[in-house]
Amino acid sequence: MDVKRTINDLQDFYSLSLRGLLGMFGRPFYFKDALLQMDYAGAGSVVIVVIVNLFVGMALSLQLAAELSTLGMKMYIGMIVGISVVRELGPVVTALVFTGRVGAGMASELGSMSLGHQVDTIRVFGLDPLKKLVTPRIVSSLIMLPALTVIGVAVALLGGYYIAVFISHQSGTVYWSSIRKIMTVENVVAGASKPFIFAYLISSICCYMGLSTRGGSVGLRQSTTRAVVLSIVMIIVADFVLTRILLYLLGFSV
Amino acid sequence: MIRFEEVNFAYGARSVLRSVSLSVDFPERVAVLGGSGEGKTTILKLVLGLIRPDSGSIIVDGDDISHKSEGELRETRMKFSIVFQEGALFDSLDVKENVAFCLREYTEMSEDEIDARVRHILSSVGVEQALELMPEELSGGMHRRVSIARSLALDTPRMFLYDEPTTGLDPINADNICRLIAELSKEGKGFIMVTHKVSDALKVADRFIFLRDGSLLFDGNRHELLHADHPDIKLFINELCIQDPSGL
Repeated sequence: MDVKRTINDLQDFYSLSLRGLLGMFGRPFYFKDALLQMDYAGAGSVVIVVIVNLFVGMALSLQLAAELSTLGMKMYIGMIVGISVVRELGPVVTALVFTGRVGAGMASELGSMSLGHQVDTIRVFGLDPLKKLVTPRIVSSLIMLPALTVIGVAVALLGGYYIAVFISHQSGTVYWSSIRKIMTVENVVAGASKPFIFAYLISSICCYMGLSTRGGSVGLRQSTTRAVVLSIVMIIVADFVLTRILLYLLGFSV
Repeated sequence: MIRFEEVNFAYGARSVLRSVSLSVDFPERVAVLGGSGEGKTTILKLVLGLIRPDSGSIIVDGDDISHKSEGELRETRMKFSIVFQEGALFDSLDVKENVAFCLREYTEMSEDEIDARVRHILSSVGVEQALELMPEELSGGMHRRVSIARSLALDTPRMFLYDEPTTGLDPINADNICRLIAELSKEGKGFIMVTHKVSDALKVADRFIFLRDGSLLFDGNRHELLHADHPDIKLFINELCIQDPSGL
């Protein structure tokens, strides 16, 4: 392992992440680029987020129904589905879907632009590629991933409701009243803060991998794969760390 | 003036330029010749500060750009306009937006003014019909022309840099691109054209630089190039005789 190169790569990554984020606070502002990215990242991802979260909610509800029925505690399906989806599964599953669709797209698009000298062209035009290419992608991710997570959580809860009521024959009123009960400030904050961190991680990693692409189509394949794999690993690791911190900060006893 | 002083550059373990020293005035029409992998494109990238030399200095208008930051290089880069080998048009933008890219970034022109300016530039390079096409819909020749059109959008560049502008084109399109390059240089703006096609270089340039094994093998005018004794240069010239026996 080339230690010097690894340190240089890490330094470049931190620099890109920080400058990409700070870019949104200084001129020039690329609103149109950010809007285009939001359209791609947000509107374009709604369907797949809905489908994936719907089935995750249904599967979770089904598993719980099977286990809780043996204990005669099926009335708790709503509560357990709610806590699992709001705090954990909704943000993580949506972030993973976002990585597969949007993150991979960012890495391959920027990689292709690097290989095709389009990034060099932007530099020759006297523009900062980080402000022009990275900041709009970070901004769009920071806005759209939390929005998609809200949609994903809502759909997953609906999926859980369908199984609980129509398959497991539980009361819909009990299900929604359980959901309402778990919608405390603590639970909502624990779930709603994660997508912002995930969005920043995914967009930074994928932009960095894309812009550092070298070596033709093989290099493009490698950088896209690396971007997706690293993002997924970082989401899972960050989720654990965030959960630990949030549980402590929000006063949950473990 | 652009001056290279004892410039060395390597991609990893592969040395590309070895102690290269040369100077080029902005109005000059220079062709950099040599085989593939001889460091021709590297010279263009070094001029623009897109890559940094391992040692030596690159001086543009008396200013050493070898160790300047991205922000500091902006002023230097605005003196040039480059046409990359594959055109490097932005895939996500249509032809009009590609050409209008710098106008939107650097001018306060209205939409009508931008439209008129873009149409005028596209018409001057002969591709006004491509206004609303996307880059993937363009032929190779049109791609290069639009790329040249984009490089003309602003008046600030004092020199054009062409990276293999005729590579991959059929002889008619290649000839048209050469005519266009020659036409543009009549306005007093010089160019450095990197190419391995000596026939194209002879159509447009006055000065010829030949790179071999990362070193400057030859630097002279048309007459000196055609009568050079070095076997490698003769190989290039012989190729020219095969292509066009009357070309000399």
